[in-house]
Amino acid sequence: MAQRDSFSGCHPGLNMLYFAAVLAVTILCAHPVTLAISFGTAGAYCVQLYGWGGFGRRCLWLVPMMAMAALINPLFSHEGATILTYLPSGNPLTLESILYGLAAAVILGAAVLWFGCMTAVLTTDKFVWLFGRLLPALSLLLSMTLRFVPRLVRQFGQVRQAQQCVGRDISRGSVLRRVGSAVTILSITLTWALENAIETADSMNSRGYGLPGRTAFSIYRFDKRDVLVLAWLLLCCGCVAAGWMSGGLAWAYYPVLQGDQAVLVQAAVLALFLTPVILNVREECVWKRLRSEI
Amino acid sequence: MKKLSVFLALVLLLLAGCGTGSASSPPAPDGADRYLTQPVPEGKPAPVEPGQVEITDTAYTCTLSISCVSILEHPELLVKEKQSLVPGDGWLLKPTVVTFYEGESVFDVLLRTCKQQRLHMEFEDTPIYNSAYIEGIGNLYEFDCGDLSGWMYKVNDWFPNYGCSRYTLKQGDVVCWEYTCDLGRDINGYIREMR
Repeated sequence: MAQRDSFSGCHPGLNMLYFAAVLAVTILCAHPVTLAISFGTAGAYCVQLYGWGGFGRRCLWLVPMMAMAALINPLFSHEGATILTYLPSGNPLTLESILYGLAAAVILGAAVLWFGCMTAVLTTDKFVWLFGRLLPALSLLLSMTLRFVPRLVRQFGQVRQAQQCVGRDISRGSVLRRVGSAVTILSITLTWALENAIETADSMNSRGYGLPGRTAFSIYRFDKRDVLVLAWLLLCCGCVAAGWMSGGLAWAYYPVLQGDQAVLVQAAVLALFLTPVILNVREECVWKRLRSEI
Repeated sequence: MKKLSVFLALVLLLLAGCGTGSASSPPAPDGADRYLTQPVPEGKPAPVEPGQVEITDTAYTCTLSISCVSILEHPELLVKEKQSLVPGDGWLLKPTVVTFYEGESVFDVLLRTCKQQRLHMEFEDTPIYNSAYIEGIGNLYEFDCGDLSGWMYKVNDWFPNYGCSRYTLKQGDVVCWEYTCDLGRDINGYIREMR
């Protein structure tokens, strides 16, 4: 994490509420202005959470993926009133299908970025705390599976470094030798994973997992700032929902671009989406002011 | 290991299923040809497979029209965004005399005319019927005006029971493309054998 995130310190319920609302609007609403807001704020929050480097690394594979999604639509969908030219097959290439492809790509990119932010903010302990009462088995399973891949990758790196020290390097030697070292490393990692699973199960057993009457440890308190943030989120969500219901976010790409241009609803969307960014900026301002007073 | 083998077995089963599915074509109903076309009535032209017919330079003319007048009777079924696309008199293309070349099909003429008139038209090649399928003309698509809606064509007041790429035109033919909201019943074009 590039810097401390203020929104991560809020109550997990607020984090959950925020991401549920943001993802719902991003995925279900096709209004181009909303999509632009969603993508922009997702990028801004991603930069705050992971720094420019982390954001750039994400974009390295996200941008080609989005480009592919944008290209595929006009190849298969030929609906739309503005005919630009004709494809070799004889079907028309329309402006609307290109724009719809772009919108789909932005939805995809924004959703991926939002999920990236969500994994950083809504950590597994918060997740288990949120759903531990409701769906204990499922939340445990989810938190363990979500943790599994990063853990395996980290362990793989450690084993690789250790093997490098004893001369079994996967970046040196003949191809056969390199493959041999890689297989050894993989085998060690997998063995570790199996053994680790048994140890985890033993550890959970000995701590009384599944026994009745257990309580969960939690350090989450709903403080005064959380009340303010909750009120703000509810206000924004209410405005967005009301605007959405009354058709303020309606948009159609086919046969011609048409839809509402409700500035107020989009402002509410922007306010909702920017909540964590605003919190971070505000915290930084307060910090700078306090430091200058010392 | 056990899970892996179960997974592999499932994948193999799926592959096997796909293989048999594509290898053996579904059995054709009685009397139908290999493209599932029932026998053509007496006196009507039989289907001609596109690609097997030679297109020459001899020019002929035929009359082509495109109409969506049936939508005017069911405006409430039409998708909201497309209301403005339906012309007041229902004609997307009034009866027009167009030139075609010997051996060309109804589809060839429709495609060329739509390109000339800058009229939107989307089609899809369907190998099982060996013909193009017209999905939409003028952005009015199949299913846009109810679940039973789509485009049909008739030549000299007869709705052929095969695809438009297999109908070879003759001098003076009258081709009408009509939008139906009820599987052809509303335009006297219901074909009982095609279900």
